[in-house]
Amino acid sequence: MTSMTRVWSQLSRDRAGRIGLIIVMFFLLLAVGAWIGLVGQGWSATEGGRWEPANAEHWFGTNILGQDIFQRSVYSVRTAFEIGFVVALCSTLLGAFLGAIAGWYSNRWVDDGVLWLKGVLDSIPFYLFVAAVAFALQGNPWAMHLAMIATFWTTTGRLVRAEVMKIKSSEFILSARAIGLPDRLILWRHVLPNTSHILLVQATIAFVAAIKTEVILSFLGLGVQDGVSWGLMLAESTQEVLAGHFNNFIAASAMLFALLMGFNLLADAMQDALDPRQSGL
Amino acid sequence: MTDPTRQAVLSVRDLDVVMHGNGQASRVVRKLCFDLQAGEVLALVGESGCGKSKTAEAIMGLIPQRSGTVSAARIELAGSTIHGLPEAAMRRIRGREISMVFQEPLTALDPVFTCGSQLAVLFRRHRGQGRSEARASSERMLQQVGFADVKRVMRSYPHQLSGGMRQRVIVAMAMACRPQVLIADEPTTALDVTTQAQVLQKLTRLGRDAGTAILLITHDLGIVAQYCDRALVMHDGRIVEESDIGQLFSAPVSDYTRELVAAAQGVSL
Repeated sequence: MTSMTRVWSQLSRDRAGRIGLIIVMFFLLLAVGAWIGLVGQGWSATEGGRWEPANAEHWFGTNILGQDIFQRSVYSVRTAFEIGFVVALCSTLLGAFLGAIAGWYSNRWVDDGVLWLKGVLDSIPFYLFVAAVAFALQGNPWAMHLAMIATFWTTTGRLVRAEVMKIKSSEFILSARAIGLPDRLILWRHVLPNTSHILLVQATIAFVAAIKTEVILSFLGLGVQDGVSWGLMLAESTQEVLAGHFNNFIAASAMLFALLMGFNLLADAMQDALDPRQSGL
Repeated sequence: MTDPTRQAVLSVRDLDVVMHGNGQASRVVRKLCFDLQAGEVLALVGESGCGKSKTAEAIMGLIPQRSGTVSAARIELAGSTIHGLPEAAMRRIRGREISMVFQEPLTALDPVFTCGSQLAVLFRRHRGQGRSEARASSERMLQQVGFADVKRVMRSYPHQLSGGMRQRVIVAMAMACRPQVLIADEPTTALDVTTQAQVLQKLTRLGRDAGTAILLITHDLGIVAQYCDRALVMHDGRIVEESDIGQLFSAPVSDYTRELVAAAQGVSL
C-alpha cells in the first residue's frame, strides 16, 4: 500500500473527516462554477426591488440595493477560495523555507535573523498591521494578501524549524551524509519532505484563517475593494438588520460557517492521517 | 605488530576526538592508532561509550566542527590523506571510497522515499549513471544482498520492510560503489540472532568479493570470533589490545580483554 492510498483509506474511515471533505468539495465546485461563469454571474446586477423576500427568481431574496443575495453569496465563495489559495500557498512555502533554513542552521546568525523577524511580526497586532499595509499600498487589491502572507508564515516557520532540528539529528540524515550527499541536497530532499505533514495541515489552517480574516477585513473596509465577499455582505447587512431584514446577514454568515466547519473537520482528519510516523511501523 | 608485506588501506595514527557539549569538553578518543589491511575484517571491540562510534564518525569526517574537534597525525585511505580535506572533496570520497553502515536499521533510511530511490541515488551521484541505468544497478545490488523479490523491495518504503531487510538494503547502499573501506557500526545490534547471521554473512561475503576491507564495530565477542580476522580492543578511548582472533581468546594480553572474554564465556555457558 503506497502512502497516498494509506492516507486516503484512513481519511475515508474518519466520519467527521468525510463530512468535512464533502462540504469542502461542494464549496470548491461552487468556486469553480463561479470561476468559469456558471453560477453567481449576476452578483452586481440591481434588477430586483429593494429587500424582496425569498422567491423563485431570487432564492435568498434581495438586498438594500435590489441585488440577488443568492448570487452574491455564491460568487463570494470564489473570492474566499482565491484569497485562501494564494495566502495558504505563499505563506506555507515562505514558512517552510525560512523554518527549514532556521532549523538547519540553528543557533547561527541565519536562525537568529529568522527568529528575530518572526518575533517582530508576531508582536504587531494583526489588524493594525493589515491596516498599515493597506494604507501604505493605498487601494492596491493585493494589500490584504501581502499582509496575511507576511504574518501567517510565522507559525508554520516555527513548527518546521522545530521539526527540522529534530530530523537533522536523526540517523538517516547522518547516513545521507555518509554516502556523500551535500548538505543543501539533504535539506531539500530528505529533511523538508519529512515535514510535509506539518506543511499540509498548516496550509489548510492558513486557508481557513485567510478566509476568516478576509471577511473581517472586508467588513472593516480594508479587504476586498471591487467585488463581493461575505464580509462586504455583512457590512451591508448592518443597515438592513436594523430595518428588520435578515436575509443578507444569514446568507453570508451561514455560508462562512459551513465552509469553515467543513475545513476544520477536514484539517483535523488530515492531521491524523498524514503523520508519517503513524505509518504502521 | 602487523604483517608488513600487506598494504594498509586505512591507516590511522594518533587520532584524538574531543567532543564539546554543554560547555564542557570530553576526550572520547585518545591517541588511537591502527592499520586496516586490504581485504581483512577488523573488529573494533569495546563496551558502549568507549569511543567506538566516535572513532568511526571521525574517520568519515562526520563530526561537525561545532560539536567536536578531531585531530590526528594521519588518517590515510589507500595511501592518500583524508584528514582535514575540504568538505566537498570529502563528499566525493564518502559512499564511494569509504562507506558506513549504521546501528539502527529502523532510522537509517528516509521514511518518505522508496528504498529503490535511496539506493539509486548512489549510482547516480558517484557513478554518474542515468535514471534507468541506476535502477538496473540498484536491482543487481539488491540481488547480491539476497533479495529474491527485487522489484517489490525497490518500490517499498522503509516501514514496509522488516529490520533485517532494511539492514540488507543499507548494506547494499554501503557496498554499492565497491568502496575500499566499509565501517560497520554495530550493524546487527538491533536485530535478532538469526537475522544477525544473515546480514553479517552478506556483509562479509560482499566485502570479500569486492575487495573491501571492513572495520566491524561491535561489543559482541561471538561475532568477532566468527567473522573477523583481527581485533582491536578499545577501553576508555584507548586501544588496549590488538591481536589476531585466535590469540584474543586463547592468550589475551591486557586485563581488560581477559575480563571481556571471561564475561562473554560466562554468558554463553
